[in-house]
Amino acid sequence: MNRRVVVTGAGIISPLGDSPQAVFSSICEGRSALGDVTLFSTDLMDGAQAGEIKDFLPQPYLGKKNFRPLDRTGRLTAAAVQMTLDNSGWTVEMREENLVGLILGTMFGGLHTIAEFDRLGLTAGPKFVKPLDFANTVINAASGQTAIWHTLRGVNSTISTGGSASLQALAYGMDLIRSGRSDVLVSGGTDELCFESMYGFYRAGMLAGSISGQSACSTPFDIQRNGFATSEGAAFTLLEDHQFAVDRGVSTQAEILGYGSGYDYSQGKDENIAVKARAQAIQVALNDARLTADQIDIVSASANGSKLNDRYEAMALLRCIDLENVPVMAVKSSLGDSLGASGAMQVVLLIEAMKQSLSPGIQTMSKADPDFSMLENNIQNRPVEIRYALANAVSADGNCCAVVLKNISDE
Amino acid sequence: MDTRVVITGIGLVTSIGIGREMFWENVLSGKSGISEVESFDTSAYSVHKGGEVKGFSHGPFVKNIDSGHIGRASQFAIAAARLALEDAGVAPDDINREATGVSMGTTSGEPNQIELFDDCCVADETNQVSPYFISSYPCHYIAGHVAAELSLMGSNMMIPTACAAGSFAISHACDILRNGRAQMMLAGGADSFSRITYSGFARLLAIAPDKCQPFDKNRKGMMPGEGSSMVVLEPLDLALERGATIYAEVAGYGLSCDAFHMTGGHPKGDGAVRAMEQALAESGTSPDDIDYISAHGTGTKSNDFHETVSVKRVFNKAAYDTPISSIKSMLGHTMGAASAIEAAVCSLAVYYGQIPPTINYEEPDPDCDLDYVPNESRQQKVRLAMSNAYAFGGTNASLILKAYEG
Repeated sequence: MNRRVVVTGAGIISPLGDSPQAVFSSICEGRSALGDVTLFSTDLMDGAQAGEIKDFLPQPYLGKKNFRPLDRTGRLTAAAVQMTLDNSGWTVEMREENLVGLILGTMFGGLHTIAEFDRLGLTAGPKFVKPLDFANTVINAASGQTAIWHTLRGVNSTISTGGSASLQALAYGMDLIRSGRSDVLVSGGTDELCFESMYGFYRAGMLAGSISGQSACSTPFDIQRNGFATSEGAAFTLLEDHQFAVDRGVSTQAEILGYGSGYDYSQGKDENIAVKARAQAIQVALNDARLTADQIDIVSASANGSKLNDRYEAMALLRCIDLENVPVMAVKSSLGDSLGASGAMQVVLLIEAMKQSLSPGIQTMSKADPDFSMLENNIQNRPVEIRYALANAVSADGNCCAVVLKNISDE
Repeated sequence: MDTRVVITGIGLVTSIGIGREMFWENVLSGKSGISEVESFDTSAYSVHKGGEVKGFSHGPFVKNIDSGHIGRASQFAIAAARLALEDAGVAPDDINREATGVSMGTTSGEPNQIELFDDCCVADETNQVSPYFISSYPCHYIAGHVAAELSLMGSNMMIPTACAAGSFAISHACDILRNGRAQMMLAGGADSFSRITYSGFARLLAIAPDKCQPFDKNRKGMMPGEGSSMVVLEPLDLALERGATIYAEVAGYGLSCDAFHMTGGHPKGDGAVRAMEQALAESGTSPDDIDYISAHGTGTKSNDFHETVSVKRVFNKAAYDTPISSIKSMLGHTMGAASAIEAAVCSLAVYYGQIPPTINYEEPDPDCDLDYVPNESRQQKVRLAMSNAYAFGGTNASLILKAYEG
C-alpha cells in the first residue's frame, strides 16, 4: 500500500483540440465545442447542438492501416492511447517486454455499432448481420481492440459507471498499482457522439433546451441552466508506480494521492441522500490522500448544466471545500459532456492547469445560481498556484467519484 | 492487504433454478436449462434453442423502485442480490448503507432496451422511443438499480468485461474490502437473453443446434443463456463476528489480456496462462493443490481446445488428475453472469465437497483429454477451486476460492 502512483503521460482528443495544451488554451480563450451535428440528423431534436469532433480520422494518429475492425469508439480510444503512450515514452519495444494494462471508462461503448448491427438483422434478416461488427457489440470492445493495436497485455478492464466512468477507471487503475498488481497502465475514457445516446437523452428531457419554450443553457452552475449538451472524445493518462517511473528516468506530471467513491441510492430523488453521497466520496478521497480540505487549491467539477446534478454537486462541494476562495473549473462549459470520457478530460486538463498555474474560467456563465453565488468568482480565468487538486465526477444517476492529485513538478 | 475476504451469501437466478438450494441440487443432478427460445421469434434463424430463464417474476424482489422502467438484467440482479442477502442472513434494513457497495459485471447490459429503440427506428416510429430508454439501457444502471432497491451508498461499479465480467466484478469487490473501503459488498454479474447476442453467435455459426457439449469430440458450439449470480462478500473478522456461514474464502485472482484476437483465444493460451499463474501466486498455492477447475468451457471447438492447452501448460502432469467441468453444458453461456455463477459453483463445491458434472458428454476428444467429470457429479473434498473465464477482447480472469479452515 505504500506504492506511489504517478502520471507520466497524457493524451486527449476532443472537439476543441487533440493535445492537453490546445484544449486548455481553447477553454481559456472561451471557445465552445458546441455546434451543429454532421454525423447524423438532429431534426427530431429541434436541431440541438452537440460537441462533435469534426472530420475525425484515425490515420494522423495511427498511420495508414486497416481500420475496418474498429468503430468510432475504438478509433478514438486507440488514437488517444497512442498519444498517451508517446507522451510518456512507452515504446512498442517496452510494451513487448512489460505488461502494460488498459482501463477504459465508457458509458456506452460502441452504442451506434450495437444499434446498427441489430437494425440490419431486423431489416435484412439475422443471417446478414456483420461478424466484424458483432465483435464490437460488447461494451469492452474498444479496450480489447486497443489492446491488440498497441500490444497492451496487462490487466484489460472496462469501467461503465456513466458520467463518472473514467474517473472510476483512474481510481481502479490506482488501486491496481498501489497493491502491486500492475506497474504501469493506461487509464482514461471514451464516448462517441451518436444518434442513439443523444436522442435518448433528448427524449428524457435531459438536454439543454429540450423542454419546449426554453432556450438552451448548458452552463454549469448558471441560474439559467436547463440541461446539458452531449459531446464526445477520449482522454487518457499513463499511470505508473513512482519507483518504476524514477528508475526509467522519465519526468512525472502529477501524483494520484487518493480517491473516494459512492452512490446516491435515491438516484437524485432525495436531496439529503444525494448531497451526502457526493460529499462522502469527496471526504473519503481527502482522507485517502491524507489531506485536509483546506489544502486543496483547485476543484475540477463534474457540473454540466443539469439542474439537479449541478446543485447537488455544489452543495456537496460547499460542505467540504471553501468555495469562496478555492477556484472551481467546470470544463463541460466549453467541451459539453463527453460522458465516460469526461472525468479523464477533467484530470488531463487539471494537470495542464497545474503546469500553467491557471484556472480556466466558466466564461459562458452570466449569473450563478443564488444558492452557490460564490461560484460566479470563476467566470474569468484565474491565476492559482496548485499543489493539491480535486477532480470530481458524478453520473446522472448518482455514481460519484472524487480523485485527489498532487503537483510534483518540483520533485 | 492482510484482510481476508469470505463469501457468506449466494443468490442465483438461472435456467435451472432460482436460489442457491434449487440451483445446487439441479446442477449436481445434471439438469439442463436449455429450451426453445421464446423471448423473440427465431424462425429466421437456423438455430432455435437457448438457456432462457422461464417463469421468472420480479414481483417478490423489486419492491422499492419502479419495476416497469428497469430492464430484465436489472430485475435478475436485484433478485439475485436479495436472495444472496437472505442466504447470508442479512436483513436489508440492517445493512450499514454507507459502507456497503455493489460490484457487477455484464456483457451486454440491458440489450433488450436498445432492441426496443431499434424496433421504433425500423418501424419508422423513432419519435416513439421511450423517455426511459436512457435510464434503463446503459449497463451501469444494473448495479445502480441494485443499490437503489437496497439503499446502498457504498462504491458502485459496473465492469462490462464481457464473458469474464463476473470474475472481474468479484475480484474488484475483494480489493474494495481489502483496502477497507467497505464492510460488505454485493458482487456478481447479470445478462439477459438478447436477439443481438443470439444473432451474432448464430452468424458466427457458433450456436449448437440442440445441446451444449463442452469438451466432447462432436461438440457443435455454445448455447446463449441468461441469468444472474450475486454473492455477499465480507472481511473475515466481520463475518465471524456476526456468526455468518462461510462458504469459501477468496484466495486470489489473476487478470490478463491476450492482445491478440477480439473473439478468439490466443493459440497457445498465453493470456489464460498468465491469469492462472497470477491467481496461483497470489493464493500462495501450486497447481498440485487445486482440487477442482470450473472451466470456461463454452462448447465451441476452439475455446475448449485452447482452454485444455492452457490448463496443461500451467498444471503439467497435475492437469490429468484435476477434475475440470463446465456448467455451461447445463445453463448455456450466461455471458456476463457466467463467471459469477461459476464463482458461486466453486464456493459451493468447496463448502459441500461436491463437483458438478459436464453433461452431454458422449465421445472423448483426443485433443481434449482431461478429466471433465462426464455426466455424473462427484463427492470429493475440494479445498481449492479455480474458476477460469475468457472473454471477447482477449480478456482473461482466474479466480481461486478456498475452503475456510479457520
